[in-house]
Amino acid sequence: MVYDLIIIGGGPAGITAGIYAGRQRLNTLLITKDFGGQVARKAVAIENYPGFEEISGLDLIQKFEKHLRKQKIDIERDEVIKIQKTPNKFLVQTQSKSKFESKTVIIASGADPRPLEIPGEKEFIGKGLSYCAVCDGALFPDKNVAVIGGGNSGFETAIFLAKIAKKIYILEYGPKVKADKVNQAMVEKISKVKILTNAASKKIQGDKFVNSLIYQDRKTGKEKTLSVDGVFVEIGSQPSTAFARDLVDFNERDEIKVDFESYQTKTPGLFAAGDVNVGRYKQIITACGEGAKAALAAYEYLQKL
Amino acid sequence: MVKVFSTPSCPFCVSLKHFLKEHNIEFEEFNVAEDKKAREEMIQKSGQMGVPVIEIDEKFVVGFDKEKISQLLGIKD
Repeated sequence: MVYDLIIIGGGPAGITAGIYAGRQRLNTLLITKDFGGQVARKAVAIENYPGFEEISGLDLIQKFEKHLRKQKIDIERDEVIKIQKTPNKFLVQTQSKSKFESKTVIIASGADPRPLEIPGEKEFIGKGLSYCAVCDGALFPDKNVAVIGGGNSGFETAIFLAKIAKKIYILEYGPKVKADKVNQAMVEKISKVKILTNAASKKIQGDKFVNSLIYQDRKTGKEKTLSVDGVFVEIGSQPSTAFARDLVDFNERDEIKVDFESYQTKTPGLFAAGDVNVGRYKQIITACGEGAKAALAAYEYLQKL
Repeated sequence: MVKVFSTPSCPFCVSLKHFLKEHNIEFEEFNVAEDKKAREEMIQKSGQMGVPVIEIDEKFVVGFDKEKISQLLGIKD
């Protein structure tokens, strides 16, 4: 069977595209590892999505998923590893070695946490090092922990961890933190959070589990050691786009270049919506909007075939 | 005997439990955010400080590793 549309990704962009495609009666398959992507892992409540004054990421995504499942579309829990183009259709290959065919594809695979790429990081994943504070934070009651990254997600992670941990260090590489004013004001009120600026993380150490983090004070050049049992990495994200390499153009951050009227990539019939493309603002609402527009553009494209 | 160690706010734990229910696998669930004893048991036995952890016949799998879990449970799809 050849689908009309395959959507890759189950975050806000992919789910919205699925809802629109279902309502257009497109024969659609949505392939995703899990639902929610970064939204489900968000450390604090969402307060900027209209209709919900305050809602947790997990709750919002469960509502999204329920809404999606009302549509008559197929859903596969799997990971896409390659997309290829033949003259008339796309071949989408997944990790479990299934192959699917479709006339159009929307890439909405979002972004993964960006790794630190320092010694000790890989060895201690799941042993004190985490990219998901809402998952693993509860395992650090009354412990000292470090959050790497002084942007919004770093601050939100620190606010979340303040309910659990004894002491929290936020390490920001630059001379100033980048979190917005609301988050800065909230962290200021929590006495157990200490902010370290000009701090370059160098090494994660431990025995069976993490016991310390070495960083360099970029002002003095001196290396310092923090005794921590947990390290939470919040230094941004990198788009999950490697599987589309041959069919799209990237910017310097590996984000997919699109035409902002149709969200089409350089390959006709192949679209990219949400955090995966070069769009500057990475928000839930913008990802939803792009998913809707990409699905409508895919519909229009199919009408002309 | 299948045990799932998880925290309430962890999306991968939700996915894992959903997957088990979909395949009619019975499991016992431990909330390691609240249950200190289960938390210590999980960390000690699995050597892991991350969730979800699933224990299948005394074998531990960390994260929602669908392939490994399916293999241990004999799930085919």
